[in-house]
Amino acid sequence: MKHVLDGTIHTIHAALVRQEITPLDLVLEAIQRAKANPNNAFERLLEDEAIAFAKTLTKPEEDNVFWGIPYALKDNFSTKGHETTAGSNSLNGYVPLYDATVVKRLKDVKAILIGKTTLDELAMGGTGMTGHQGIQTNPYDASRSRQVGGSSSGSAIVVADAIVPFAIGSDTGDSVRKPASYTGLVGFKPTWGRVSRFGLFPFAPSLDHVAFFTRSVEDARALTLVLSGKDDEDATSRDLPIDFVQPIRHTTQKIAVLKPVLDSISNATIKQRFLASIDALKQRGHHVDIIDFPLNLLQAIYPTYMTISCAEATSNNANLDGIKFGPSYEGKTYQDVMIQARTHGFSELIKRRFVIGSFVLMRENQDVLFLRAQRVRRKIVHALNDVYASFDAIYLPAAPTVAPLLKGSSDRLSNEYLIADSHLALGNFAGLPSITIPLGFEGDLPFGGNVMTRKDEEALCLSLAQDVEGWSGLHNLSTRYRGTSV
Amino acid sequence: MKKVTRDVLKDASLRLMFTMTEEQYDVLLDEFSILIQQMELIGAIPGIDDVEPMTFPFDVTVSALREDVPTTPLSQEDVVKNAGSVLNGEIKLPKVVG
Repeated sequence: MKHVLDGTIHTIHAALVRQEITPLDLVLEAIQRAKANPNNAFERLLEDEAIAFAKTLTKPEEDNVFWGIPYALKDNFSTKGHETTAGSNSLNGYVPLYDATVVKRLKDVKAILIGKTTLDELAMGGTGMTGHQGIQTNPYDASRSRQVGGSSSGSAIVVADAIVPFAIGSDTGDSVRKPASYTGLVGFKPTWGRVSRFGLFPFAPSLDHVAFFTRSVEDARALTLVLSGKDDEDATSRDLPIDFVQPIRHTTQKIAVLKPVLDSISNATIKQRFLASIDALKQRGHHVDIIDFPLNLLQAIYPTYMTISCAEATSNNANLDGIKFGPSYEGKTYQDVMIQARTHGFSELIKRRFVIGSFVLMRENQDVLFLRAQRVRRKIVHALNDVYASFDAIYLPAAPTVAPLLKGSSDRLSNEYLIADSHLALGNFAGLPSITIPLGFEGDLPFGGNVMTRKDEEALCLSLAQDVEGWSGLHNLSTRYRGTSV
Repeated sequence: MKKVTRDVLKDASLRLMFTMTEEQYDVLLDEFSILIQQMELIGAIPGIDDVEPMTFPFDVTVSALREDVPTTPLSQEDVVKNAGSVLNGEIKLPKVVG
């Protein structure tokens, strides 16, 4: 039987307003589901705090859809008084003294935080396999042999398994939008600067975005509205027009599909379903053209991303030294103390990424590696802007495959890897609104499509996503409820 | 560009204040061989060195200063909360000099 918690934010809110259920009932059910989940989704549950807060919520607020709604938060957002480790042993025991702005805003609308979710260490991975709590697995695969994707792996699991109707993540390359594809969810990254990053542990600030998982586009719209706005604590945040997320209806849009991305995908099921969705968009009155895009720029996405993100990460995490942050170790000199702390604190993957970052920043290498990657980034963004001069949106499959096996491997020089598996980073290079929505299933495993619009055009991005959602019928998908048409 | 060798990578990791095992350097050398090939794709892009490096997605101009309102700093109690060792209300550091 369907439980209220299986619904979206909006349907749960309606049940709360009708007083069919209370916030406390929801929290108790969410905690029970969290404890039963086998996919390693939580760094820690905040059971006592969530129950105590839920007990204070006794008068439903009809005009506040977040009132009494349980949610979860990736563990790279600061939470006052609660250990926050970003999935790294280098931050074990660190208890922030303040809340991230997104946490404050959700507290202000009386959403209830039930727990902090697992992630790839320091948000620097795309598999959900590198955090200090071990491997996260895909809830759609009963054998637990498939990836959920990362780095916002735990947040994807908790929404896909209907433990909560939404969860917060961060997205530097595709860390919300790719796992959303692997778990049948809506994953939305608004424009860079739309949502304050104060309290989010920086990975690569020129690429980092706050992003989130929901089970409907309507819920993503509501969440965008409540999280957006200027924050004095984040100089890159901006105030933008209040109507930026309002639905756009019955207007014809020009949509581009980048042919080289489509050509690089070999999975026939994903391709056919994607092409069917194009037909549906055309039937709704949109113009959809499959256009060319410079292949060499698409092949450059992954190395450009690696170079820039590793360089920024190397610098940003220099403070995790066992003195300013993290567990302390004995040593005869301060260098010994730091070497002990960093050697024990970071996993092998993080060390490799830091060495890559350090190498590309070396004086002899900066021109041909780091600065050249930044130059490619500009070229790529220019080419994207050329597309947006003639089109309103870019629409593509979010990933070339369903969730990969844990032990899967890719040819890292193939076009499928360099282009189809990496193109979501375009949205980070240019800071554009980008949303993944479910498209279909291959067997039991879901996959998604992605819409990306010009900067600040969240309204259009969400409306086109809603058109795809309306066609697919894959609304409110979870492992407990397979949507309206499946 | 500096040649990627085990010694160069060892030097880089020590500057980064951590050590790695020999097996981990093997994996890293393999990773670099792929990354360098990928970077060669970048180097082959025509006119790549004629454009300015891009450091942020777009310019953000802050044209207003916030009001000069006094705020409450962290209390002494809060400041020492995350410290591993505290003595007389102050953070105690290990002796690492002399």
